[in-house]
Amino acid sequence: MISASMLSRSFDGVPAVETLSFEIPEGSLFTLLGPNGAGKTTTVRLLLGLIAPDSGTATVAGYQLGQSNNDLRSVCGLLTETPGFYDRMSAWENLIFFSQLYRIDQTVRDQRIEHHLRAMNLWERRQSLVGTFSKGMKQKLAIIRAVFHDPKVIFMDEPTAGLDPEASVMVREMISKLKGEGRTIVVCTHNLDEAQRLADIVGIINRRLLVCDTLTNLRSGARHTSAIEIELRAPLGDHQLTAMKLPFVKGIDNKDGKYVFEVENPSINTPNLVKALVDSDAQVYAVRPQTRDLETIYLQCVGEGGVDR
Amino acid sequence: MNVSLLFLRKELREVLKNKFVLPVYLVLPPIAVILPVLFAAFSPQIVAIDQNDPAILAILRIVKNTPEFAHMGTDEAITRFFMRSLVSFYLLLPVGLSSISAAFSVVAEKQQRTLEPILATPITDLEFLIGKLLASLVPSIILTWAAAILAAVIVNWITWGKYETALLPERFWFVGVFLLAPLMGMASVLAAIRLSAKMSDPQSANQFTGLVIVPAFMILIGIFGKILTISMTAVAIACVVVVLLVLFLLRLNLKNFQREEILTRWK
Repeated sequence: MISASMLSRSFDGVPAVETLSFEIPEGSLFTLLGPNGAGKTTTVRLLLGLIAPDSGTATVAGYQLGQSNNDLRSVCGLLTETPGFYDRMSAWENLIFFSQLYRIDQTVRDQRIEHHLRAMNLWERRQSLVGTFSKGMKQKLAIIRAVFHDPKVIFMDEPTAGLDPEASVMVREMISKLKGEGRTIVVCTHNLDEAQRLADIVGIINRRLLVCDTLTNLRSGARHTSAIEIELRAPLGDHQLTAMKLPFVKGIDNKDGKYVFEVENPSINTPNLVKALVDSDAQVYAVRPQTRDLETIYLQCVGEGGVDR
Repeated sequence: MNVSLLFLRKELREVLKNKFVLPVYLVLPPIAVILPVLFAAFSPQIVAIDQNDPAILAILRIVKNTPEFAHMGTDEAITRFFMRSLVSFYLLLPVGLSSISAAFSVVAEKQQRTLEPILATPITDLEFLIGKLLASLVPSIILTWAAAILAAVIVNWITWGKYETALLPERFWFVGVFLLAPLMGMASVLAAIRLSAKMSDPQSANQFTGLVIVPAFMILIGIFGKILTISMTAVAIACVVVVLLVLFLLRLNLKNFQREEILTRWK
């Protein structure tokens, strides 16, 4: 549904994003994680054809960037970081105005807006000025604006930023519902918890796309090394040395009496490691593959120094 | 619905609720009606107060040297002269009204963060620019024409008995109100949109339009004002100059009013 190839863009000579390449299949939820200024919003703007890339290409919902950007935008929805409504107009007037910009047929427009307003518990407030709405209510309204034209792809930039926990839960449920309807969704966030809850595919960006994979693969480290936690009846002595001599063991750590081995290709090498320990008379009590949480992966990728400029 | 019409309706709603713009819309058009009526009613008396006053002497000299007024009585000639001079107010009216609403309209989009959601829709950059242009221009032109027509009706009503002829419309008034005024309005909207792209709050927009655009056009009117009431050639030249100004400003705006420019350069 979305395919980007070597997308790059700089502003006044400062690179904002560099050589982004990724594929997002139809119906999946892609979470783009990164610190502030990492290029998340620039990526969304590039994919919506709002700004042009310096180099590289992308295809969104069958439309190639730069060839038919208005058609592309007609099948995409955008939830901007700040909701952005006319404060002196009512919720209904705002939605009607934007729906007309999307050229939604009048016969279905009112029905759709009513349906979404009711679903978001805003129907009773439809005639209230948006200026009187809370941030959460505006965010709900912005979600309606992002979906009322039935888009194939929805871009959401920090969808829960500044929302209280209750509103955040509501927004996440809404996103899950949209995903359940088969839409392709791109969520930009620096909220790791949100990414873990929502994502099928996680991309970590810091000007460049540092990793892009399914959450399961990232956690298990299927393509790199993985930590295997092994409990023994007795502490390691010579056995540790035996294990360390194995070429696929990249490190060993003793945490609270449990040994953590950093192993290459764990699906193949974990049995070899256990066999080596057993062969050297270690009394293996339990073996557990350690999954890395997203925070660990994120910090490994991005580092704690923020944007690398 | 046409995108321009959509913006027009939206901007009208916004103007009616904008405490900075609405007073200008409520005050200037009535003045444009009252001023000609007062001059029509009291021109002879104004001149009669002190015929040795240098300013009045200058007016009398112009009136006497204008061939069109030669066969008229002094009162009618002077009244007609004042009516013609007031055309400059109708040139200024759309400048004042449209520039302030255009500046506020752009600043409001920025303040309310509505630019990106608009730009994410399938409208073209040109549709957006024309929408903004017409949304500020059309109300100011309609009000200018309405004020001018209403003023003409009242002026003719109160002077008919005295001169037994309609003072308005006359050709300078007609060309000024119906051709030059919309052109001046268009130029001022384009200038306001271009300049307010750099403004971030309503106060700055207000001061900027007040301090830059309106005085600039007043100077323009001042330069042309005197000869505009005497020579149709001068009126034609003024029209051509303003058309060229509109084209220049349109070109600047077409370059400025692009999604990328708006998202990355407008502050």
